[in-house]
Amino acid sequence: MKKLYSNKLVILSLVLPGVLLFVFAILAPICLSVYYGFTNYTGMGSFDFIGFDNYKTLLHDQAFWTSLRNSLFLAIGFICVQHPLALIVAAVLDKLGGKGENFFRCVYFIPNVISVAVIAYLWKFIYNPDFGLLNNIIKFFGGKGDINWFNYDTAIWAVLIVLVWHGFGWGMLIYYTGIKNIDPVLYEAVAIDGATPVQTFLRVTLPLMKPVIQVNVTMAVISALKQMETVYLLTNGGPNNSTQFAANYLYQQAFKAYKYGYGNAIGVIFIIICLLATVILNKIFEERDVWDVKKKKTRRAAS
Amino acid sequence: MKNKKLFKTLLVTALTASTILTGCGSGGGSSDATSKSSSGGSSGTVTLKLFSNLPDRKTGQGLVEQKLIDEYMEANKNVKIEVEALDEEAYKTKFKAYSMEGMPDVVSIWGQPAFLDEVVDAGVLAELDQSDYTDYKFVEGSLDGYTYDGKLYGLPRNTDVQCIFYNEKMFKDNNWEVPSTYDELIALAGKIKDAGIIPMAMDGGDGWPMAVYLSDVLYKLVGSDYQNVVSNAVKNGDFTDANIKKATELLKEAADAGLFQNGYDSQDYGTAMNLFTNGQAAMFYMGSWESSMALNPDIPDDVKNNIRAFTMPVVEGGKASATDILAWNGGGYAVSANSKVKDEAIKFFNFMYQPDKLSKYGWENNVGMSAQDQSEYMTGEETELMKQIVDILNNSTNVSGTPVNDCGPSAFKTSIESEIQGVSNGSSSVDGFLKAIGDACK
Repeated sequence: MKKLYSNKLVILSLVLPGVLLFVFAILAPICLSVYYGFTNYTGMGSFDFIGFDNYKTLLHDQAFWTSLRNSLFLAIGFICVQHPLALIVAAVLDKLGGKGENFFRCVYFIPNVISVAVIAYLWKFIYNPDFGLLNNIIKFFGGKGDINWFNYDTAIWAVLIVLVWHGFGWGMLIYYTGIKNIDPVLYEAVAIDGATPVQTFLRVTLPLMKPVIQVNVTMAVISALKQMETVYLLTNGGPNNSTQFAANYLYQQAFKAYKYGYGNAIGVIFIIICLLATVILNKIFEERDVWDVKKKKTRRAAS
Repeated sequence: MKNKKLFKTLLVTALTASTILTGCGSGGGSSDATSKSSSGGSSGTVTLKLFSNLPDRKTGQGLVEQKLIDEYMEANKNVKIEVEALDEEAYKTKFKAYSMEGMPDVVSIWGQPAFLDEVVDAGVLAELDQSDYTDYKFVEGSLDGYTYDGKLYGLPRNTDVQCIFYNEKMFKDNNWEVPSTYDELIALAGKIKDAGIIPMAMDGGDGWPMAVYLSDVLYKLVGSDYQNVVSNAVKNGDFTDANIKKATELLKEAADAGLFQNGYDSQDYGTAMNLFTNGQAAMFYMGSWESSMALNPDIPDDVKNNIRAFTMPVVEGGKASATDILAWNGGGYAVSANSKVKDEAIKFFNFMYQPDKLSKYGWENNVGMSAQDQSEYMTGEETELMKQIVDILNNSTNVSGTPVNDCGPSAFKTSIESEIQGVSNGSSSVDGFLKAIGDACK
């Protein structure tokens, strides 16, 4: 068997499908995207090489910057609202036990099982100013109930609530799985030491969940940047680009405005931002690792 | 040892074979596709591919299209027509992909610069012989949108008239009058609102109906100068013309006066239409293709039987009269320039446009007016709404042609349909709007 794995032909045949997939499905499209980003290609017919013109236009494109700002809001919403809540709910679920645990785990995960199209239309009706659920609730409690939730100034918050709510179950499930993997002996030990539930969560659960948090937060930031389908179905970036997101804007420019070259330029910037976000997040977690090790060393030296 | 060697040989063979077979599989698929789209073959069958923007094959225009296909295949046993139908947005995206890898033989198109400019430039559509269609009873001017440098690239399917549908019973019960001026329309909006009803349901989320509204008001202002004003603005990327500015202000005035429903700028076609068909809105701003509402079994009878239509009232100081209407020829068909079965494709294409086919079947199925003379197919049993719209068109003294948003390149269309939401809801200024849409033309 060992000999088999040292045979270069076998190694090549095992690695080749993966390499080919990577080259043709990921690397080549990215290279083509970079190339088309320097052209005025409409998606049909011939095109000219126009240098950095697309990128210069992009610098002054208000809608593009709004879409990036919205992606940033969403990432913040994920990190500051969705994930802390998901982690706390996962920790509480873990302690709940029995049928209640299973029931709530399923309930929280339901939005992730429902199709994005259904979710978008469901919320469209909830938010509708004329017959929507929210305004009817306000009317029931004696209010006027004529709020236009998707108006230019508040539409982005209405969209963010849907996105944060929709992704909640997924984040919670990953945290829940992470918590389940923590050795129960540790909980017993802190219980003997007389730790309160809050102390147990902060001193045992949270530190041991760090790798899970790292993966989850990185995935959340990337998904915030890549957000498209829910927004496309909910508002399609409107009114007047107030709920525009980068991926949706890229789609509109490339496929609706027939500015394929410009769409590719957006795509290139988009890839760079995604890569940067990943590198920065990894650095932040790395620095914390180094910092933790240093702190431990200092403590040991002191004792 | 022997076993290990055998296992190694088997593994390498299996992997190599699977790679080769995968390659063969895809190769086989593509050769199959080629044989399907090409003519001839031992059996002598011809396969035509029709790419359509009518995914609903059971009702409306999709049904008419399918009837024609079935009829053609029945009459020409050697022809097989394969249909691929997607809704408008998905259709336009895939159309672009097809333009790079090879168009299906007959395709749906729109005879408007926003769609056709790039498509004709790319050379994917076959030139048609104008003289073939002299007896096809096309309404005068209906082929203009499909003609570039004197060459014809497609034929229109419909004539669209922009209407304000209204609930006649609701109007009578409340003593509301059909407005004869724009000021009366705005005043009426106030009265309807006071009665706790939405004055006009508007699909503002999609942007284009509001751009059509802007075109409607602009046409009332400038009259027969409309096409000149719009084409000059698009050509120069300058929309600061006083009349365009005035039209934009009138649109904003209507939105500010509460003519449209709360949150109109984020509501889609279906939601806006439901407000009207459920009796929550008194009027609905949409094209004549929705005249089939009067036959829709899902709409309650008290609404369905009372739907009537009028057109944009005159604007004070404007040049257009009450009978000058916003109407245009939108969707149609074309034949692919590189079709391998071009002769058969053109034969089928011409079959569809015979006056007693698309036009007649369309009329019988209440899918609105075609771009051909349909007067001989009127039975007198059409709905009141349909008769009213035909009268509007027959009594019209002038028609506008293409709405503003479809008069420029696609980038302009995308821009105006988004920016118009901002100018109407007050999040951007009129001047800012005019500059933004002008820049999108450059």
